[in-house]
Amino acid sequence: MQTVLNRTSIAPNSQSYSIALDVIRFLALAVMAGTGFALLLAVTIVALTLVVPPAAASSGAPIVAAVSHSEKPGEQTSGSFLMRVRPGGEYQRSPVLSTDVKIVVSGVVARATVSQQFRNDSADWVEGVYVFPLPENAAVDRLRMQIGDRLVEGQIRERGQARAEYEKARANGSIASLVEQERPNIFTSSVANLGPGQTLTVQIEYQQTLRYEEETVSLRFPTVVMPRYIPGNPQSEKAGSGWSPDTDQVPDASRITPRVLAEGEALRNPVTIHVELDAGFPVGEVKSRYHQVKVEKRDDNRYEVSLAVGPFPADRDFELVWHPLAGEQPRGTLFRESADGETHLLLTLFPPVGHKADEKRLPREVIYVIDTSGSMEGTSIVQAKKALSLALGQLAPEDRFNVIQFNSTTEQLFALPREASTANLVAARRYVDRLRASGGTEMAPALQAALAYPAKEGFLRQIIFMTDGAVGNEDALFRLIQDKLGRSRLFTVGIGSAPNGHFMTKAAQLGRGTFTYIGDVAEVGEKMAALFGKLEYPVLSDIAVEWPAGVTAEAYPQKLPDLYLGEPVVLSARMEGPLTGTVEVRGQSAGEAWSAKLALPDAHDGKGMGVIWARRKIEALMDSQYQGADREKVREDVVALALKHHIVTRYTSLVAVDVTPVRPLAEPLDSQAVPTNLAQGANHEAIFGALPRTATPARLHWVLALLAAALAFIVYATRYATRRLS
Amino acid sequence: MRPATRSMLMAGLISVSVWQLGEAAYIQAKAWLAQRLIAAAWDQARAAGVGVKPWPWADTYPVARIEAPRQGARLMVLSGASGRTLAFGPGHVAGTPLPGEHGNSVISGHRDTHFAFLRELRSGDVLMVQAANGGVVRYVVSAVEVVHRKDMRVLLDAGDDRLTLVTCFPFDSPVTGGPLRYVVVATRDLQGIVEI
Repeated sequence: MQTVLNRTSIAPNSQSYSIALDVIRFLALAVMAGTGFALLLAVTIVALTLVVPPAAASSGAPIVAAVSHSEKPGEQTSGSFLMRVRPGGEYQRSPVLSTDVKIVVSGVVARATVSQQFRNDSADWVEGVYVFPLPENAAVDRLRMQIGDRLVEGQIRERGQARAEYEKARANGSIASLVEQERPNIFTSSVANLGPGQTLTVQIEYQQTLRYEEETVSLRFPTVVMPRYIPGNPQSEKAGSGWSPDTDQVPDASRITPRVLAEGEALRNPVTIHVELDAGFPVGEVKSRYHQVKVEKRDDNRYEVSLAVGPFPADRDFELVWHPLAGEQPRGTLFRESADGETHLLLTLFPPVGHKADEKRLPREVIYVIDTSGSMEGTSIVQAKKALSLALGQLAPEDRFNVIQFNSTTEQLFALPREASTANLVAARRYVDRLRASGGTEMAPALQAALAYPAKEGFLRQIIFMTDGAVGNEDALFRLIQDKLGRSRLFTVGIGSAPNGHFMTKAAQLGRGTFTYIGDVAEVGEKMAALFGKLEYPVLSDIAVEWPAGVTAEAYPQKLPDLYLGEPVVLSARMEGPLTGTVEVRGQSAGEAWSAKLALPDAHDGKGMGVIWARRKIEALMDSQYQGADREKVREDVVALALKHHIVTRYTSLVAVDVTPVRPLAEPLDSQAVPTNLAQGANHEAIFGALPRTATPARLHWVLALLAAALAFIVYATRYATRRLS
Repeated sequence: MRPATRSMLMAGLISVSVWQLGEAAYIQAKAWLAQRLIAAAWDQARAAGVGVKPWPWADTYPVARIEAPRQGARLMVLSGASGRTLAFGPGHVAGTPLPGEHGNSVISGHRDTHFAFLRELRSGDVLMVQAANGGVVRYVVSAVEVVHRKDMRVLLDAGDDRLTLVTCFPFDSPVTGGPLRYVVVATRDLQGIVEI
């Protein structure tokens, strides 16, 4: 204050001296105040964040227990998407691919023709390799290669032999194609010796049964393989052309991980779909869940469906659903095919919806498991979180629950399941709100955690497993479910635009629960409501089938699972004997005996029942490995059956070879993998990673602090200007 | 400008300045204080032979201690490289071997706190790493490069035993979230294994 008073007496020419003094005084003041405040602030905040646990700070809520799956820290399993992605722009020389799909539906059976057109725009001779998905129950039984106007029929061979024939043709310079199965829902088609500017079409045909549940038939056609997480240690050899090396846990990883387009590249692989639908009953409504379609009605039962706005990029599942007119749902259907002296049947039967009015609702112990790995980032985690919130709202006060999340590590909300009290539910909701998706998909520890301890006596134990199933080690997981299930029941909820249908259905089958798909956040309510209906209890149990006298039948599934609300009995059989009498299906519904009969002579003629039966039997054989069946024996049986029925399996492939060589042997052959799109809504970086973010905003704060101080000084200095003016 | 307005403006600007100073100081103070607590946990962990959390609700634990004698840096490396972990110390990137183990162990840290010393590392500089089991491994800086953050080759196994230190680049930019990373590679010096 002294200096301020003094200044009035200072001569005007000494003003510069006065300003210098002012600067020093201002700086001194600012620095003192600033550092004082900053220190105080910093110490307080640090003390607060370090000393008060975040969970305990909020009104008595339970502390979120972070439980790592590995007993010892540092035992983190390696394996991830580890960055085997290459920068974009290297795909120019791969053949251009487009897919045309025609599906003919009769009742609950579909026959599809998938035409993959490979076009070589490069100036070289190329081999194209395309990894693509099909429905997990598809029985691929035909391959035709179309070169110009010519068609070359594919032959079924044992896998190794098919590959040898294909490679021989490739070396000879002959056009050839090969279709191999990597997983029940992942296939690879290869075409060799595609000349410059040439176009070639690979036509694949498959047969499948459709899902018919809750009075809705759904036809699902996957178009892209979501990048799969590959656990395990990398091996030096690499069998395929994918972005992942093979690992000890997933020895064929490089065959199921097709290169994904780099971020920002235009989507590729256009798909067109045309469906001829003969529902077999008067249809109420036909709708497509994720794509705009044009539906043309032929008559009460028959429709034609095509895409309304042309092809769509292969980046998400196509799903068409229809349901019978009210009151027109058939109680059951029986289809028959007699060919080559064999008769095959396909039986579908809907049990009545029984409710035990006086039955007391059993309390439940529900373990919610949510996948928070990188592949869930984007729209998927939003869907999963919403579904999980809805599910939490379904708990009754007498129920018990826990929430487990997993990515590279597994973490659970409570160390042990707790009662669904308001406080516990509040803690759970807060926990779910905070979930973020990143990292790997180490699914086994999460399954182990969910199945770890026995259910509390008197409780129904249910596991709701929400995931996109984007993993490569399905078999190990299935074995785990088979071994550890006990009294628990596993219900899978497939999330996202391209969930792994094989994982969803098989895990639910082995877990003796059901599967649900959620492909859009708008569907969450409807789909979860259906699931909640199923969770109550199985509506039909102890199901047995009795064949008429004189008939012997080999039916699959061999042991019928308990049915949940809206599910039908589906049985595929090969029978010997006269087509007379009735098949009787019996079970327990709402504590009472239930039975239904279908007369064999009433069976409709159907096509492809034999293939469907063989495909079911192959599935049963493959599944027997989870219970320890001899691999070599299974392989022999599968190969024999597949060769007879012309079906592509893990052990058999279709190969087509054009006899005349076309490529001059002096010209080299360039092998090119067809890149795939990233599934819609997924986040490239969350899956393929990037180096960590390693800059703090500290420097920015310093700059801003200095800037504000400088501005403050300028304002301070302006008082001279004002004073002089006055 | 009326004196009252000017006073208010000045008060506002000084508050902003102080607030920003506080934010910056907080980041630095947290980074510094956490390292002290972690060092204590480390000694305990080594005595107990298991991972000990530096504070009860921490979602991470120390996995190694790294020392750069010439730069005078001594840092506790934490498990995981999430943003939350990096505020407390350099983080070991999950999926890569632990520091001191065989293979390519990757550690990332903040360019303006713990890993600010990386810019002073030169080829031939020595890094000492103490692993959880107590063994000390000597590494010698062999390469320094700047890469794009999506260039994940940095994380791949190169067939040798190395330490890869990653931080943001450029060091002095006030902007966060930039696309470049500064990478220091140090290879294991087989002559220099010391047991303590």
